[in-house]
Amino acid sequence: MFYHVMRFSDRNSWLHLPVVAICFLALQSCEMPATSFENVEEAVYYTRSTKADAPLPDSSVRIMTWNIRFGIGRGPWFGDACGYRVVYTREEILSNLEVIANRINAVKPDVLLLQEVDLLSKRSSYVDELQWLLDHTYFNYAAYGSQWKSQFIPSDGLGRMNEGNAILSRWPISEAQRIQLVLRTDQDALERYFYERCCIVKSRIDIPGFNPFYALNIHASAFATDDSKHQHIEQFKSELDKIASSGGRFVAGGDLNTLPPGSDSTDYCIEDMCAGESFHHTTDNPMHKEGSNYTPEAQWMTPLYQSYVCAVPLSAYQASQSSFFTHTTRPEHTWDRTIDYLFTNRRWRNGSTITHQNFLNDSDHAPVSSEFILK
Amino acid sequence: MNPLQHFLRFFLLPGLCIISTICRAQDFDSTLTKYWGYNTALTMPAHKWESGIAQPFRYGINEKLELRSNALEIPFLPNAGLKVALKKNGGNFIATEHLIGYPTVFLNTVSMKGTGGLISPEFAPFPTIVSLQNNVLVSRAAGSRGLMTLSLGYTFAIRSGKPDPNATIDLPLVYPRMAHYYEASTIRLGFGYKGIISKKFLFDDGVESFFVIRHENNFFFENTGAIMWIARGSFRIRGGYSLSYGKYPYGTQWQLWPSLDIIFGSKL
Repeated sequence: MFYHVMRFSDRNSWLHLPVVAICFLALQSCEMPATSFENVEEAVYYTRSTKADAPLPDSSVRIMTWNIRFGIGRGPWFGDACGYRVVYTREEILSNLEVIANRINAVKPDVLLLQEVDLLSKRSSYVDELQWLLDHTYFNYAAYGSQWKSQFIPSDGLGRMNEGNAILSRWPISEAQRIQLVLRTDQDALERYFYERCCIVKSRIDIPGFNPFYALNIHASAFATDDSKHQHIEQFKSELDKIASSGGRFVAGGDLNTLPPGSDSTDYCIEDMCAGESFHHTTDNPMHKEGSNYTPEAQWMTPLYQSYVCAVPLSAYQASQSSFFTHTTRPEHTWDRTIDYLFTNRRWRNGSTITHQNFLNDSDHAPVSSEFILK
Repeated sequence: MNPLQHFLRFFLLPGLCIISTICRAQDFDSTLTKYWGYNTALTMPAHKWESGIAQPFRYGINEKLELRSNALEIPFLPNAGLKVALKKNGGNFIATEHLIGYPTVFLNTVSMKGTGGLISPEFAPFPTIVSLQNNVLVSRAAGSRGLMTLSLGYTFAIRSGKPDPNATIDLPLVYPRMAHYYEASTIRLGFGYKGIISKKFLFDDGVESFFVIRHENNFFFENTGAIMWIARGSFRIRGGYSLSYGKYPYGTQWQLWPSLDIIFGSKL
């Protein structure tokens, strides 16, 4: 075989180079229409273009979780707000990112868990939102895991997509992993191929002078009608259990897309209903709107609350639920449910938790922040 | 890197290297002219036709004129073209090609909700767009079993309005061919070489560059290669690859795609 190649090369040297070049490029250019992932793989590391000061904390750091809705604010996106828009202009995205960066710079979290961060996606005019946020805040490091990555989604004009979770930190990040969550089983093969692959991003944060801790960031399925969202929450707890059982400490949070136990209202089908839709009638199929009926999920968060410390204690939530609402689907309405959380296996500083409900126009989620005690 | 540098890097130097290695023109095997005149300066013989699934229908009106259209595209992308043979002299051929298309129907069709929506419906309806392409093709026999073709084309559009710049289909092979629908015009420069492997097999390899006359997302390069099997009579199967490079709105990208076509036509 080698002999034939050599002979070919000798007699047709002008042909040989293009053939080798094509083979080389072929190996490098096999980008599939949609990207699938290993169960566990290394997350993508990001760094700020020019390094910012990272002052050493006294005894605690502020942790914040925020689903930033890929920088479209409360815009009428077709996918989740009865909207009609699919692609936002670069000017719109940068303007919204500016608002988000200003909010972050005002709250000043030390570690930030972001969900729905777009990298070079058609719908957000190909802005690398993570690099932009790094360069317009004070974070030096980030780890990113895609949860929806496709070269071209041939549906609704979505086109190229790369959306995911990111952990941003003032201090160095290491051991960053993207942990795959189970895929939905309630979709046809084509839809599932191009659809989201929910994940957890996990990384170690090293603050000089303190023991390291882990940060975990999850975005559980929003619209699953099978058991996959429940499994996402169980997988999340399982990852936390592994750290806790090995003596490690963590801060963990994100958009879990389910309500705390004891929520007064658990069915939002009518609130989330778009024009022309109908739910809750015997003739309606489906009976409930996808992602809006949390009634069967009433106890899904109980194991997390029982094992770990939530930044908003369950008793506080149950005493004044609306004070801790973090989400609404309706662009013109205020927050009407809680689906974003922060947990730890150590301690949050008493009275330090803030549900930033005043950030009403910046995303369809309110961020939650709290001070994690390091010592 | 400006368009001139791209041109030098991706086309001119490799093209000159290849040309310089091919020996002088002489009479060549008619298998090539019979079975693979597409993308060359050769026209279909008078009253003969051929078509493929991807390759357009071609019909020889007479020895100097060839009519073409992609029949499958006509319902949503009406198109037609004329190739005019200017010179046939031994192993040298010169022709011009003039193509017209009306992509508005296609753009409106794929601007839809749900599966098949390649463009967001928020951008429909599209303005009236008429796409025009003019090419000069020069083919020359390379030895007795090869044919090389140089092509130079200019593509532009006449529009009743300017489509939203976000309403593009940002895919390799597709994006550069649609760029002029939205703005600017495109210069296309190509070089191809077809050769005979055996009585039943032919091969083709070529490069084409697209220079979109604007400041960004303006350069694309494609290398295509294929082998054609003459299965029976005029029935042929062509399989190969398309390797593309381009400066897209999201950055640069290399992409390799397979290609397959079935070609059939009147008795040759």
